[in-house]
Amino acid sequence: MRHRKTYMKMLQVKTTLTILAILSPLSFGQGGGRGQGGGRGPVNPLLNGNPYVSPQEIKGGPIPRLPDGKPDLQGAWLQRTIGNSMSMYSIEKTSGHPKTQIPATAGIIVDPPDGQIPYTPEARKKQIDLGENHMVEESDAHCFMGGVPHSMFTPFGMRIVQPPNYVVFTWEFMHSYRIVPLDGRPHVDPTVHLWEGDSRGKWEGDTLVIDVTNQVGRTWLDQSANIHSDAIHVVERLTPIDSNNLKYEATIDDPKLYTRPWTVQFSYSRILDPKFEHLEFACIEGEVDMGKH
Amino acid sequence: MRAGLAVIALACAASLPAFSQANAKKGAAYNPPRLADGHPDLNGIWEVRAKVDADLEGKINGKNIIVEPADGKIPYKPEALAQKKDNAVKRATADPLNKCWMPGVPRLMYVPYPFQIVQSANQPVMPILSQYVHVIRNINMGGEHLDGLDLWLGDTRAHWEGDALVTDVADFNDQTWFDAAGNYHSGDLKVAERFTRTAPDTITYEATMTDPKVLSKPFKIRVPLTLHTEKNFQIMEYECFAVKEGPTFTVGDKPDPQHGR
Repeated sequence: MRHRKTYMKMLQVKTTLTILAILSPLSFGQGGGRGQGGGRGPVNPLLNGNPYVSPQEIKGGPIPRLPDGKPDLQGAWLQRTIGNSMSMYSIEKTSGHPKTQIPATAGIIVDPPDGQIPYTPEARKKQIDLGENHMVEESDAHCFMGGVPHSMFTPFGMRIVQPPNYVVFTWEFMHSYRIVPLDGRPHVDPTVHLWEGDSRGKWEGDTLVIDVTNQVGRTWLDQSANIHSDAIHVVERLTPIDSNNLKYEATIDDPKLYTRPWTVQFSYSRILDPKFEHLEFACIEGEVDMGKH
Repeated sequence: MRAGLAVIALACAASLPAFSQANAKKGAAYNPPRLADGHPDLNGIWEVRAKVDADLEGKINGKNIIVEPADGKIPYKPEALAQKKDNAVKRATADPLNKCWMPGVPRLMYVPYPFQIVQSANQPVMPILSQYVHVIRNINMGGEHLDGLDLWLGDTRAHWEGDALVTDVADFNDQTWFDAAGNYHSGDLKVAERFTRTAPDTITYEATMTDPKVLSKPFKIRVPLTLHTEKNFQIMEYECFAVKEGPTFTVGDKPDPQHGR
């Protein structure tokens, strides 16, 4: 329950207090710090008190490998971005929005070079309206899973496990997970829509390439109401740099809302504390507030 | 056929006392596939294919789900039975599953939804991913129970005993039930489970529940979990959103006027 409270506190802070309050590490206090191995192990230098701030980069050794020679990506990871760009708030480059209180951020969009989603004019109008007037429609606030790529940069850490023929991602946040089969099976029928979409993976050298289709059109890409439709098609590329660092890239297309495909890029830092464990994230349990909206 | 095999097993047990008796005792005649670390491979999508969640005091194929005590009933303390009866009456609104909440343990393992066991050699965690409201149950291999937390799924610490995955689950809250019949526990619940692959498509799942506040003695259930072998079978999604309307909950997908599906 504590996670839920922490997250709702963040939402509340975001919508009711000042930007300064958001950026101050003091405003997160104990709440953000509790992700550190359940408070039992030593404090992980990669985990900040504020889960919205990127960890530092620590170089690692050679890429670990599984017996079949494929990269071993297993372990716990945190998103890292240039300049602590806080992707949960906005994946777009922004100087901040006084009305929505989204702070200035560098964003994670590397193409187009202006860091903006190439929306159609109608889609941009809708995104602005949702952010300014309909924040309650944010999918996270309803305890739904975040979709792809949103789930890839949620706070409190991501775990990768590689059982035979699969790569599996699990998150503490919203207890979301993605199961990626590597056996070459086709996507599910196009009439099926899933909150985390339908993922199919394959290795291209040391890069895990994941094709994601069949998403619902109701998840947001961030808290700035950046949106997609159920026609979204995502191709992700996850590449180990060394034993402590992964590079993530996703190209996102949606002919209903965007004029052309666009690309996000960021890194992951390995959580080095061997005692780090995901705890339980209760969200819908006991929730009564959202039912009123 | 099954009786015939049992006779052969008994005959072997008689002729090879040390080895076969141990096997017969464990019911471990089946040699499961293994991962690189030598432990049985529990990977796969599993689901209980019998009516268990409706009432733990029921039967599967004529046999009690509850194998201890012998009467197949939950050994409630006399003063705790009233609460179970009250739960049963109010289950339409009081059952945590009717509010989309996490089912707790052991219930997560026999609610009628498939789950995938995600096991990789020498990893510290074996996640169990349920289709029911995308619940993740992290099976932590080793480590100690957390202090001062109470959790919907409890805190699971597991180890291998021979070919059985054995768990010790504690740190529960008192909000979850054992089944849809209103059978319940307190926050003092402790669960000890054994997952054993007993056939190519079967995990024999056993769980022993101890709860001195509610139970006069522990009880044990035995439930078969069946492997999904359909081609390209995969976990789908059961997202659930409950809206409280007065005294009751309306469960279903929340309509979205902003951008549809």
